[in-house]
Amino acid sequence: MSTERIHIIADSTSDIPPELLPNLPITVVPTFVNFAGNSFPDDNVQLDRQGFYQQLPALRPFPTTAAASPGMIEDAIKAVADRCDHIIFLAQSTKLGSCYTQMRLAASSLPPDRYTLVDSQQIAMGFGWQAIIGAETALETGSVEATLDAMARVRKAVRVYCALNTLEYLQRGGRVGWAQAGIGTLLQIKPILLVEDGEVKSHAKVRTFSRALEEIVRVAHEYAPLDRLAIIYTTDAEAANALRDRLQDILPAGGRTIVTRITPSIGVHAGPGALGIVPLSAAWKN
Amino acid sequence: MITRQIFRANQNIAADGYLVKQLFGAGLVWLEQNKETVNRLNVFPVPDGDTGTNMFLTMRHAYLEIAHMEETNVGKLARAMSNGALRGARGNSGVILSQLFAGTAAALDGHDRMTAPLFAEATRAAVEYAYRAVEKPVEGTILTVSRMMMESVQNNYSHNPDLIMLLKRMIVAGRVALRHTPEMLPVLKKAGVVDSGGAGLLYIFEGMLRALCGKPMEAVAIEEAPVPVQHEETWEDALVPEDGLGYGYDVQFLMRGDGMNIEHVRRDIQAMGWSTLVVGDNQLIKVHVHVHTPGDPLSYAIQSGASLDDIVVENMQRQYEDYVHSRADRDGEGAVAVESRGPAVIAVAAGAGMKRVFLEQLGAASVISGGQTMNPSTGDFLNTIAMLPNEEIILLPNNKNVLLAARLAAESATGRSVRVVPTVSVPQGIAAMFEHQLHTGSGEAAILDVVADAMNDAASAIRTLEVTNATRDVEIDGLSVRAGQYIGLLDDKLAAAGDDVEAVVRDLLVRAGAEKAERVTIYYGSDASLRQAKALVESLIGQFGAAEFEVVEGGQPLYPYILSVE
Repeated sequence: MSTERIHIIADSTSDIPPELLPNLPITVVPTFVNFAGNSFPDDNVQLDRQGFYQQLPALRPFPTTAAASPGMIEDAIKAVADRCDHIIFLAQSTKLGSCYTQMRLAASSLPPDRYTLVDSQQIAMGFGWQAIIGAETALETGSVEATLDAMARVRKAVRVYCALNTLEYLQRGGRVGWAQAGIGTLLQIKPILLVEDGEVKSHAKVRTFSRALEEIVRVAHEYAPLDRLAIIYTTDAEAANALRDRLQDILPAGGRTIVTRITPSIGVHAGPGALGIVPLSAAWKN
Repeated sequence: MITRQIFRANQNIAADGYLVKQLFGAGLVWLEQNKETVNRLNVFPVPDGDTGTNMFLTMRHAYLEIAHMEETNVGKLARAMSNGALRGARGNSGVILSQLFAGTAAALDGHDRMTAPLFAEATRAAVEYAYRAVEKPVEGTILTVSRMMMESVQNNYSHNPDLIMLLKRMIVAGRVALRHTPEMLPVLKKAGVVDSGGAGLLYIFEGMLRALCGKPMEAVAIEEAPVPVQHEETWEDALVPEDGLGYGYDVQFLMRGDGMNIEHVRRDIQAMGWSTLVVGDNQLIKVHVHVHTPGDPLSYAIQSGASLDDIVVENMQRQYEDYVHSRADRDGEGAVAVESRGPAVIAVAAGAGMKRVFLEQLGAASVISGGQTMNPSTGDFLNTIAMLPNEEIILLPNNKNVLLAARLAAESATGRSVRVVPTVSVPQGIAAMFEHQLHTGSGEAAILDVVADAMNDAASAIRTLEVTNATRDVEIDGLSVRAGQYIGLLDDKLAAAGDDVEAVVRDLLVRAGAEKAERVTIYYGSDASLRQAKALVESLIGQFGAAEFEVVEGGQPLYPYILSVE
């Protein structure tokens, strides 16, 4: 009953919109958010995004996150191994989380020629676009090589820019690499974070959120013409839609523009009010 | 005051031992005055911050040797100094300094007085000895500086055999060489300093020249040459020891004995560590070496049958840690920093807090003190411009009384492109700086006019509110104010007055449209406290929509509060 040659297993920090999954050969393994003495998978079933973000400002102690266990990933492998020839494991940046390691452990049960392990060097839709375009390429070509090549090109071209409304969550999360966004400065700032080369960097520091959005709009135009664009947010859907409207002149057509809520396992670090873009320039194909 | 008994155009007039001694003493005093500056420059070969101290101790040891001698024969004096320096030599730079003296002594041997040709010969021999003392001479150090100084003497002594002239030429050549040391020695560039040993040597000669010219000996030091930092790597990272064991120990001692073989000692000591210096003769050898196990060279020397003296063992890893600590503290004091990309900014500000904001957070290259009470001059701007290596410079006057001086400076600065962004308040200057960061922080090259225009736009978009006390009774725009009352200025125009500072601030915020703003920043001055400023925010918060309030120490005089609304 082998209907697909290639299957992708990605972790949930890829933020792939759930409505796309039924049509793509992708399995998403959850990331866990630990709070109130429990550990919740961010699968939008046990942990409702809307509800979680409403609680977030009041949660004490502060939530922490953890990658899926190798056992869970093995379950995901078992569920698809019989109906595909090759599994591509795609993990969040190894500099930002441990999912890659868990995937490597779980995958060791497979013969080496039946899987490929890939560090997405990204998070959120910077990771998501790699999985989506990889899956599309897999369906079109059936070629592992072509799929990996497309994913590598996307990985090289894609960036995440995200304006934070508050530094508090970044600071409290204490993740290495996240903390260089200008904490401890004399004047308060609204940072715009940039994810590239697997790291979270500071793209710019401005004084007001509206100035941050101006900068994001400017940056988005630098990537035009766009093949894909994701608008990502933690709490303010209205602001996300308004940002999409401001980018009307460069929006890629149809389903190639996505407005999506950041998964709680990343959102705990970005905090309420975070808003960003994940542009993929059309030049990635060249 | 030194007798001007020095060699001049007439070569029959020569310097005697008495003069040489006085000059030497003056060099010592001037080095002592400036040794802390030299210490702070010290990053190579080990950033242990002691070059100035080591050179001073070495020099003092040499001077003590001759201080009470009645001798006027320069050859004999030089020999005594050389012996003293060799015995007192501390650290790498101290040992090299002692070799400069040793070479000088060798050249002056048998001479009663010093003439210009002999002076030239002494400098030549000094540099030759210094280079020979080091196992692998490294350029960009005291060696380079001494060599360039020596070459200036060689080029000038025959047609201009005047000691003052020669010293001046030497110092100019030495300064040029010192300024170029960061290009020759990458660790200096990364650390943003010039070579410390070279700087120490220059102080010694400057001291001599000052004495000859009758200048006072307690003036301030020459400026540290600012070095453009073009690396992502910070100076802290640059100085982390490459060796996983750390910087190890600095071991120094004197070996005394008969018929010692310096070549053998040098070879054996070199095998034990690094930064080795072994100098002397068959009766007295000075050893300097960096090792991880300080016992090795000491045991070796004892086993060789020599008697040991002046043993110094220093933990360089700890000195390095102390250096990093003190350097980090000093960096907070507003030393000249240089932007790596795009135009550098010189801002005018009063108050320690305001200066810190510009220098530490916003990356201004330099801050000139001043503002309402102390208007910097065109000359102040020009001097600061001259100190920066940047081709393109932006001036932020931050006060309307400073605007003109800044404009004149921009017009008269030669060889640089200078633009004035006409900010008339510190908050405007800060808003402009955020825009500057935005343009220079990304990878692309920032174009001066584009950056300056964007800074100008950002400055105009912000509202400045200032609260001060009226100095006299006045009536302006229907507001009557009594002397001593609080007055509030909105964008430099009188807009509110009263006895209650909180009411004045509230009035200003309403007029500035703060209820629609995103951020209100309160910089409290030297006449207000953090507690007062926080209480002020408590009383205002919630009355102005969603605006975020923020309190920052400004430290500015005269204005208890300066606010920005954006």
